[in-house]
Amino acid sequence: MATAGGDNGGGAADGEFYLRYYVGHKGKFGHEFLEFEFRPDGKLRYANNSNYKNDTMIRKEVFVSPSVLREARRIIQESDIMKEDDSNWPEPDRIGRQELEIVMGNEHISFTTSKIGSLVDVQSSKDPEGLRIFYYLVQDLKCFVFSLINLHFKIKPIQS
Amino acid sequence: MAAVTSADLEAVDFDLEDDDLMDEDVVAEPLPAAAPASRLRSTIAGDGAPRKTKGRGFREDRDSSSVPRDSRSGDGGRGDLDSLGSGGGPAPIRSIEGWIVLATGVHEEAQEDDLHNAFAEFGQVRNLHLNLDRRTGFVKGYALVEYENFEEAQAAIKELDGTVLHTEIMNVDWAFSSGPAKHRSSQKRYFLLGSRTMSLVGKKEARFQLSIPSFFLR
Repeated sequence: MATAGGDNGGGAADGEFYLRYYVGHKGKFGHEFLEFEFRPDGKLRYANNSNYKNDTMIRKEVFVSPSVLREARRIIQESDIMKEDDSNWPEPDRIGRQELEIVMGNEHISFTTSKIGSLVDVQSSKDPEGLRIFYYLVQDLKCFVFSLINLHFKIKPIQS
Repeated sequence: MAAVTSADLEAVDFDLEDDDLMDEDVVAEPLPAAAPASRLRSTIAGDGAPRKTKGRGFREDRDSSSVPRDSRSGDGGRGDLDSLGSGGGPAPIRSIEGWIVLATGVHEEAQEDDLHNAFAEFGQVRNLHLNLDRRTGFVKGYALVEYENFEEAQAAIKELDGTVLHTEIMNVDWAFSSGPAKHRSSQKRYFLLGSRTMSLVGKKEARFQLSIPSFFLR
């Protein structure tokens, strides 16, 4: 089964690791969303969907090394998101929805909230401290994933 | 799942004819973790310890606004073993225009120039991502460097891993890999050998043996 043993490229040093983030909404241009997922076996999956101007889904996936998984773990660990709870966070609404699911060792969190426009939304919520941690963690994770995906898949413009 | 089982069955039929198997001393290894861990019920076995769960995601029903995960990102999990390499352990893979190296433990005050200088020693740095912490503005702690050649990247990893940059020890390694150690075809081979050593019989029994492990692939 999905064990955390060394067979997984030695990535799961202290137990299982899994991370998934989703942000999206449904509207005029269909179900527009961004989602990425780090699986325990090292697979990073990325999906971005929109029907804007009849666009289609973009899906990328690549296996990352154990070092990458370790770094993702470190980012999450240092953010202390595992100590938070989403019970006082705004519920998902028409404007959109965010989901963050993390398995780290023997803890499994699955947070759901609405989209966060800016720090103003964070400050005016019922749990500004926790939501702020979520807000910045999501940005850091996106930075990391976008860097990985872009470096692996995107060709550079021709230099003139 | 049925597809997987029958694929394994075919492999059994094929491999039994193959004389090479006699030579190998391989022991049947435990199954790879092919199943994605994305189910909300925390049922992943792990070490058997109960998992602490937290969050709205466990309480709510899947309402209409949330599409089931599989159809979102396309669960191409099980069939898509697009690993390269000739069935060995995980190996680094080439990215679109070069080889990407990940440096972790980067000091928070490191500058792009510092990294560029350190890494340029081994080859031309085609691309460098030194992301910042979005809250503090300091360096987040990792950097991604792209080289054109495998040798340049390999040399950088070999020389820079464990070295000190700005008072912090940096670890340097490949960023991308061909996947978990079990390559699909060699995986079948192991199963077969396991069943062969367990029961030296014809195809029928080996087939039965194989169908059990495939359940675990869930």
